[in-house]
Amino acid sequence: MTKTILITGAGGVGKTTIAAAVGVTAAREGLRTLVVTVDPARRLASALGIAHLGDEPTPHVDEPLLWAAMLDASASWRAVAMRHADPDVATRLADNEFFHAASDHFPASQSYAAADQAATFVQARAWDLVVVDTPPSGGGIDFFAAPAQMADLVGGRLLRWITGGPLPGRKLLYNRAARPMLRVADSILGSDLLERVAEFLVDLRTTYDGVARRGREIEKVMRESSIVVITTADPAPVSEAVKFYRELPGLASAPKVVIFNRTLPDAWGSPSIPPETSAELRHVAQLWGSETLRQRDAREEFSARYGATVATVPLSDEPLTDLDGLARLMSQGSGIPWERIGIG
Amino acid sequence: MLDKRLIIVSGKGGVGKSAVAAGLALLAQRNGLRVLAVEMGSSGGLSTHFSVGPLEFKPREVRPGLHAMHIVRSEALLEYLSIQLRLPGIGRFGAVARAFDALATAAPAIREIITIGKILWEVREDRWDLVVADAPPTGQIGSYLRAPISISELVPTGRIRAQSEWMTTTLGDPDMTQLVIVTLPEELPSTETLETMRWLEDNQIVPPPLVISNRVLSELEDKPSPGGVVGEIADLHRSLWSEQQHWLGKVPPDLTLPYMFGLFTPGEVAARISDELEALT
Repeated sequence: MTKTILITGAGGVGKTTIAAAVGVTAAREGLRTLVVTVDPARRLASALGIAHLGDEPTPHVDEPLLWAAMLDASASWRAVAMRHADPDVATRLADNEFFHAASDHFPASQSYAAADQAATFVQARAWDLVVVDTPPSGGGIDFFAAPAQMADLVGGRLLRWITGGPLPGRKLLYNRAARPMLRVADSILGSDLLERVAEFLVDLRTTYDGVARRGREIEKVMRESSIVVITTADPAPVSEAVKFYRELPGLASAPKVVIFNRTLPDAWGSPSIPPETSAELRHVAQLWGSETLRQRDAREEFSARYGATVATVPLSDEPLTDLDGLARLMSQGSGIPWERIGIG
Repeated sequence: MLDKRLIIVSGKGGVGKSAVAAGLALLAQRNGLRVLAVEMGSSGGLSTHFSVGPLEFKPREVRPGLHAMHIVRSEALLEYLSIQLRLPGIGRFGAVARAFDALATAAPAIREIITIGKILWEVREDRWDLVVADAPPTGQIGSYLRAPISISELVPTGRIRAQSEWMTTTLGDPDMTQLVIVTLPEELPSTETLETMRWLEDNQIVPPPLVISNRVLSELEDKPSPGGVVGEIADLHRSLWSEQQHWLGKVPPDLTLPYMFGLFTPGEVAARISDELEALT
């Protein structure tokens, strides 16, 4: 059976790098591994051997068990809706300005597309392990709520209100005499905006059964995944990580581990400073020392307060341009429960 | 910058955007201005930096002269319909509000105009000298700034359209509005900042932005490092510094904020940023 690791956390904490590094480690343990990323830095993408958005899973030239894919989330959301639509509905949707606007901007759409794509890879049973780097939109938690939100959007709250009932025929929409609210709305919005939106929603509504069914499949994949939360010891990402520990058990499953990225070596906490050290360097050493102690306190507090398994990955000044660098980064980590997340 | 009426603070996720927004609001407050700080995105960004509990739609005084609020879309919408569009007794028109809320999910420009519209209405009010918005990340900021224009394209007539016009004017006025982009001297934030700058240049919706680079390390004199832990620290510091210099060259900032070592809480970070900004200006 294919195992799944979902890597999540606040923006800017190094999720993509750690997803790639976990993938390399797994591949070198002999697992056929796919790393799914959303928006990697250029150097990291080239380390993984992928170059373009929307790239299909591609095996790495030097690491045959490692595959990587880069999602184009906006394109795949459109594809999802299209997949569940009849041909003539699909044609109308393709021309509808609201469909494009919604697929570009609906906050959960990127998350939904990524979740759908990841679930497809998991269900393909072509890999032992799929490592998913979740997109940052909407603060991360979004990713886990996206299937339900998507069904809600497609189900059409607005539509139910306009029609006062289940899926209507297209003509029913124009029965506006029965709907004084529509006239009020029209006077505010001007012309027939609401009607055009409703038309789009009627079309989208025909995909509801398909999208809802798919949503349940995606949620099942999420529940069976190992969730790994990434943070740094900075106050803002830590409070994001706390949110994952509070909310994920209800939405998907409890995180297996929180990895504090960019951790400084414990020995820096109270550096012994040789007497000949310049005042400037002495000051810098003390600053990094205070940072090290603060990081240690942040980890200890997280572990004590949430009963979390806490692991660390060091701050590296090496640009991560190849797989060896990524593997080395992971091997310098400490406390990662490899077996519990399905590796080794 | 504090002589403007609206400061919109954006940046890639994780660069310290909310901390800078909070720091700017605190600095303005210390200068005796009547300030409204607005949390536009997910809840908690500003409130943790002011060390207060979750913010609500109704502005709350978090320091003398400094109020803070969180934009709750459904409440902003109701207010918009009842006051700005002068629909009498909208409270009884719950159905209209619900419909608009659903509409806002499907027609994105509407969602964004409600949020940016609320902020611009507050700017218009004489209650505040300065409104500081902790805006969505740079990836989404374009759709907010462009919302008034999108609306006029989407809606050919009607009362919303008329309002979108003065909103566009306010956003574009260099005496009124300042966009601040917070970034870090690292690859991904720098790339995203450059993309945003290009978008801003192409679209000309707001006056040129002010770029603040955060967490910038100081240069360490280039002497041979001693051995041991201090030597390791010196090596790491120098190597991070030179990587930062590379990105500072690619995205030259208007202001830099130092790396803040050893701070424990978001409140400490915001207070420190306001001190640093005061020293700079």
